[in-house]
Amino acid sequence: MRWSSLVLTPLVGVLALGVGGATLGAEWEACLQPASPEYYQFAMVPTGRVPGTGNARGTADVWFPHTPFGVAVSPDGSYRYEFRLRFERLRLPRQGSFVVWVTTTDLDQVEAVGELTDPAAFEGEVGWNKFLVVVTHEDAFDPEAATWQGPVVIRGMSRSGMMHTMAGHGPFEQEKCSSYGYE
Amino acid sequence: MSDVAGVGWWGEKPSPSLAWGRRLAASWASTLGAALVLGLGVGAAPAAGQQMDHAGHRMPMAEGAWRMPPMDPNMPMLPGLEMALPPVAPFLAAAGIDISTLPEARPSEVVEMAGGDTLDVDVSIVRRTLNGHEMAMYGYNGQYPGPLIQAPQGSTVVVRVTNRIESPTTVHWHGVRLDNAFDGVPGLTQAPIEVGETFVYDVKVPDAGMFWYHPHVREDVQQDLGLYGNLLVTPPDPEYFGPAHREEVLVLDDILMDEAGAIPWGEEAPTHALMGRFGTVMLVNGETDHGLDVRPGEVVRFYMTNVANTRTFNVTFGEARVKLVGSDVGRYERETWVQSVVIAPAERYVVDVQFPEEGPVVIANSIQAVNHFRGEFYPHVDTLAVVTVGGDPAEGSTADGYEDLRENAAVVAELDPLRAHAGREPEYTLETTVRVNGLPLPIVVSMEIDTLYVPPMEWNDAMPMMNWLSTGDQVTWILREAGTGRENGDIAWTFDEGDLVKIRVFNDPDSFHPMNHPIHVHGQRFVVLARDGMANDNLVWKDTAIVPVGSTMDILVEMSNPGDWMLHCHIAEHLHAGMMFDFTVRPAP
Repeated sequence: MRWSSLVLTPLVGVLALGVGGATLGAEWEACLQPASPEYYQFAMVPTGRVPGTGNARGTADVWFPHTPFGVAVSPDGSYRYEFRLRFERLRLPRQGSFVVWVTTTDLDQVEAVGELTDPAAFEGEVGWNKFLVVVTHEDAFDPEAATWQGPVVIRGMSRSGMMHTMAGHGPFEQEKCSSYGYE
Repeated sequence: MSDVAGVGWWGEKPSPSLAWGRRLAASWASTLGAALVLGLGVGAAPAAGQQMDHAGHRMPMAEGAWRMPPMDPNMPMLPGLEMALPPVAPFLAAAGIDISTLPEARPSEVVEMAGGDTLDVDVSIVRRTLNGHEMAMYGYNGQYPGPLIQAPQGSTVVVRVTNRIESPTTVHWHGVRLDNAFDGVPGLTQAPIEVGETFVYDVKVPDAGMFWYHPHVREDVQQDLGLYGNLLVTPPDPEYFGPAHREEVLVLDDILMDEAGAIPWGEEAPTHALMGRFGTVMLVNGETDHGLDVRPGEVVRFYMTNVANTRTFNVTFGEARVKLVGSDVGRYERETWVQSVVIAPAERYVVDVQFPEEGPVVIANSIQAVNHFRGEFYPHVDTLAVVTVGGDPAEGSTADGYEDLRENAAVVAELDPLRAHAGREPEYTLETTVRVNGLPLPIVVSMEIDTLYVPPMEWNDAMPMMNWLSTGDQVTWILREAGTGRENGDIAWTFDEGDLVKIRVFNDPDSFHPMNHPIHVHGQRFVVLARDGMANDNLVWKDTAIVPVGSTMDILVEMSNPGDWMLHCHIAEHLHAGMMFDFTVRPAP
């Protein structure tokens, strides 16, 4: 629903009433539920490789962290996002852990974000323009792990991943992909 | 499809000022036409036998004729558009005039004014040399930028503006809560200043901060040609901001040039109506090679203003730490450290930067540009200025106290109560969208494919050919009032002085080809209460704020200044493509 912020903003505001001082109270911050622009939401899709997770569904909400400028970017200009995962029909494993990772679309950079302990609410951050969110089944959560070892349970790609080369497509149908480094 | 014929020549509300617009348009067009007939013979239609040099993307035409803007030679030409030109005539300043006869522009000068003082400002044609090209541009008092006017908070200074360029103009005092009659909007608050005429502005400055002034007549042309300057309103409190060794101005701009000089502007209507006119040459304080010498440890306060038509900058200061202390209309509740400064068109930010180590520090625009053809982001860095750090170290408490972050109790006391409004429904909601009419089919098809993903921000002109070909006659950018469906000039808002009005702006990502919009409110000030439902924990008075694609911004406008005022997108080409309306604030009884 496009106007999710219409629902959430009044709640935030009601909670804000009477709050004094410039610093938001911790209890107020805890009540803030940022409304992700729906356009940038993306689906989390199961691989079916992990027993009992094939019917799972999920959504990744994406929004900018607070910034004085209205749009959050790093010094190199990459967008900075916060994301929230919400899963349905995803049961946590009896053994081992579900671990959330973010990775670039060509998998050359991987970061462990955290252990998924609540399928209804998991929040993390990512600082890439195009990225994947991957949930894997690991023996244990290791924040120092370079990448995952276990099977992928469910994964999704940022909306920006839909930005794809036009070479060989649409109005550029006659352009040879190979001319632009694509095989 | 929308009919954009009602959009005036200079961007004011179509009615009742349309007659003015047509008359002025005719006036300027006739002047230009005469010059063209006498001099260059410029026309919109391509000469027979023109060949697009695809490798260099050049058309072998005279300087005053259309040339395709530079674009990445690795990007193929959009099929079907190889010979296309914008359906408007090309315009360059002072066409037919020998540039060598024009006075050479000089750097901006500081003019300190006291209440009641008068400054005479001539708007004139000047000679500039940019990237080795002599060009005719415009200047306030022959300066680039215009004079830096300093005035004490609470005063009223008088600025007597005489128009000596080739077209009507006005001066808008951006962000200043002055009397309505002096807001500089032709057709709404004043008649345009015709060539040779004078208008006297009483500039009342109730708020401290860095403001700026620019035309409200064809900003896409006149502002881009150099008509902009700063107005620094100094507070009585010498400790308004924290200590700094010195203060510097950074006026950020860009201009679209190729190897032959400036790419012409559209005469009857702006080109680049889709994304705005991105420049290829970066300017700081009107210079391509701005530099600054500082001592190690020196704390420099930079007053930053973005005067570009459409470019939003992500400004970095090398490895130096950057303390954000103020924005459009004063100080933040709390100073904060930032890694870079994202500054949209017309916004201002005030930052304190300490340069601890000897050596050069590059002030850069550091972005992730988009290559739509390849479907990729790629890093792009433009040097804006170079700070050379050397000499004896700066000493004293200023350098030592730089690590402190201040909380401004007075600002908190004033702004924190406004948070109570975060919880209520907005009085008005505006949605942004766009309609096109008559664009070449390849552009429409390409844009539809392109919108599989739209980035929150357009940091670069990722489709220069398509953008260039789109004019303000073919593209209508729209502010649509939710509920009533009214658009742009049909929106009718009336408030009473003293009202606190909550306005929600939603940048609809499902529109034909969405883009970020810096929203500017004339004559009032506002705070950004929340973005995407997330409350703003550090308020500051603003007059312009960016709304990325897909985002929702809630602002609370203090209707403190009676009169008829504009609300519009500050991308110059979007303004002239209709994205504006005016509202009324009735005086308190």
